[in-house]
Amino acid sequence: MSENRPPRALEGLNIVELPCLDSMPFLAGAMAAKSFADFGAEVIKVEPPEGAPERRLGPFRDATPDPEAGGLHLFLNTNKLGVTLDLNRPRAREILFGLLEKADVLFNPNLPELNEGMEMGWRRMLERFPRLIVVSLTPFGADSSYRRFRGGDLVATHMSGVGYETPWHQVTDPPNQPPLKLAGRQSDYLAGYTAAAAAMVALFDRKRNGAGQHVDVSQWLAMVSMIRPNLGAATHEAPDAPGYQRMSIRRKAGAQWVYPCRDGWVSFNAGTERFWRGWKEVMGSPEWMDAEIFATAVGRAMHVDVIEAAIHDWLSTTTKREAFERGQSRHVPCFPVHTIAEVADNSQYSARGFFIEHEHPVAGAIKLPGAPCRFSRTPWRIVRGAPRLGEHNRAIFRRIGIDDNTTAALAAEGII
Amino acid sequence: MGRLPLDGIRVLDFGWIFAVPHATAWLGAMGADVIRVESMRAPDLVRFLTGTNGVVGPNLSGVFHSINMSRRSLALDLSNPKAQEIARRLVARSDIVTENFTVGNMSKYGLDYESLRAIKPDIIMLSGTPLGQDGPFAKTVGFGPTTQAFAGLCHLTGYPGGFPCGIGGTWPDFAVGTAMVFFILAALHHRDRTGEGQYLDLSMAEMVTTMIPEAMTDFFMNGRDGGPVGNRDPSMAPHGVFPAAGEDRWIAIAAASDAEFSALCEVLEAPSIASDRAYARLEDRLRNVEVLESEIAARTRNFDRDELVRRLREKGIAAGPVYNTHELMADEAFAESGMMVTREHGDSGERAVPGLPVKFSAIAPDYRGAPRIGQHSEEVLNELLAVTPEEIDLLRQEKVIF
Repeated sequence: MSENRPPRALEGLNIVELPCLDSMPFLAGAMAAKSFADFGAEVIKVEPPEGAPERRLGPFRDATPDPEAGGLHLFLNTNKLGVTLDLNRPRAREILFGLLEKADVLFNPNLPELNEGMEMGWRRMLERFPRLIVVSLTPFGADSSYRRFRGGDLVATHMSGVGYETPWHQVTDPPNQPPLKLAGRQSDYLAGYTAAAAAMVALFDRKRNGAGQHVDVSQWLAMVSMIRPNLGAATHEAPDAPGYQRMSIRRKAGAQWVYPCRDGWVSFNAGTERFWRGWKEVMGSPEWMDAEIFATAVGRAMHVDVIEAAIHDWLSTTTKREAFERGQSRHVPCFPVHTIAEVADNSQYSARGFFIEHEHPVAGAIKLPGAPCRFSRTPWRIVRGAPRLGEHNRAIFRRIGIDDNTTAALAAEGII
Repeated sequence: MGRLPLDGIRVLDFGWIFAVPHATAWLGAMGADVIRVESMRAPDLVRFLTGTNGVVGPNLSGVFHSINMSRRSLALDLSNPKAQEIARRLVARSDIVTENFTVGNMSKYGLDYESLRAIKPDIIMLSGTPLGQDGPFAKTVGFGPTTQAFAGLCHLTGYPGGFPCGIGGTWPDFAVGTAMVFFILAALHHRDRTGEGQYLDLSMAEMVTTMIPEAMTDFFMNGRDGGPVGNRDPSMAPHGVFPAAGEDRWIAIAAASDAEFSALCEVLEAPSIASDRAYARLEDRLRNVEVLESEIAARTRNFDRDELVRRLREKGIAAGPVYNTHELMADEAFAESGMMVTREHGDSGERAVPGLPVKFSAIAPDYRGAPRIGQHSEEVLNELLAVTPEEIDLLRQEKVIF
């Protein structure tokens, strides 16, 4: 790293990320550790000898599998150091424990039972490493009565209530439109960001109180936290509050969210008084909008079908770009529904340099989503690309007194 | 248990709606002194989003209470220069400033980062906006749901081959709020080590796009611009939501391996599916996923949802009931989790609202009920700026405190 580069916020912190050993890929730990790595912490990513699950998930160039060049691997493992350890083997766990002597945070994405079977349950780990922040990332919580159950992105989404409300405002035929998951692996990544936030909290606690602790991140509860307004409404209101019936919120809210236009879709809100007035102007103030029945939010909600039909008519002759610009000119929150091509190439993201180009030693030139937040003094950046499998075995193991010959022997035995 | 991790840290919070208040609720529960600056002149919409037992009012909103615990409320009308001056004096006593106004508003009030830094050089300021502080569309007005659309998530969410869908729960507001906690604390950690503050410019859309890496890298590597795939997953089948007996009863089931698929067929009492060559290996199941799903749905319809969930879990299969809010709150493990905490909020009396989704073995969060608007105006101004009760009366008459 050159001397004139700005510092990074988390330099000096040491993080160890364990692999998810379940048959179902669970990427929360990798996302949490990436957050630390990208802001300057040293992250040692421990992988099983066959590689972390994201290496198998692609996407691959021309659909040709290559564990060193999949998009998810290249994205999730930026700035990390990679070692391999077969944690089922006691010798490999000894090596891990050696690495943990200097670690500040451990991200462990495995089920409690599996950890306990390997003498790695969180209580055992804290006895052994009292200054360590032990972060469990599990489907339901390390001490939940559901702790034995498997879960994952689909189950967490649907047990939280978020799936029940998706699609939002667009359910017209409930029996044939089952509750819907969010695209990709949102609740894995959400659990990752939740774990990153909670680990920082625990680091501050250690500064004050001197000791490490267990941080219990439940993917399910992390998703429940996303729908907290429903819970608050439910304890204050009678059972017609949002979240009980799949159709109800659409009727209540009036005209809002996703609609087709001439060349695609737009997302907007015309539910509040101010936005309704803005929309009137956007649509050229047609007379019908002044009718008595539309004067109040309740009236508009009751006649949402009429409003929607009119908006459909207007949008059918309008491009999403025009709707975006005209909406914004009247301070109406109207956005285009971008395709992925439009996300990849839009003037807003390019003006901010959001996507970054990066030369990876194996994968070659790649483009990736960049900083999730811009820090003025300690900017996010890629110092090194995702590690090759076992790339840093020798360098890391030397630190704990394992010489290169021993590392070679351990590799031959399949321990690393 | 000793002091709370953020004891002694003060947050001056100009945030409103969802994302920033959610972030500062974390900070407050962890011991920070969060001072929420708000006013009846331009009140937080969320204070009127819902009410209590059918009555709507600024201090009765269940939704507001579920997002705004552990803070003090200072009513200041920021359009008034005197209020702006008070805010600047409070900055001098604060460590962190948070806001999510439309770009330009904080400058209008003389409260932009450059101004704050002149007052307190090591201040950390976070601005969260739909599209960030610069770029051609920086000044847009938007909410979480419009941000999903800009960022690509709507385009990918929906039924297979269908139209783009919006996501429940005003995603990504609370996801972004959670990540903000990490960013703020990372900046605070840097300040602790170096004495340097800084400015954090968060674009909600960019943050959302960091959460669809599969689609973005596929586009960059292969030019593929895929659409929605419903509840499916490219590496598992079945992976979906299936009907159970009764109306609007659904179950989510994911089988990650051949062994799990066999076990699923056994629970469903469907040996014909298990032995069908069309479903033998994962790649077969992925290729024939549509037929497979309809065959499974034909079986799941005959089961009671919760009974089927119980049987599948016993066999080690990832499965769960699809809950609405009411059912979630009735779930025994949810109740045991302690996530719902009861406090006195505003004028609503004692009510349960969700706390943090995380448990710490050595931290007992300091959950305080959400404040009435301006509940702590006098206390805060007196304590931090030595404003006397007489001066406060005057400020009220002049509608500086409002």
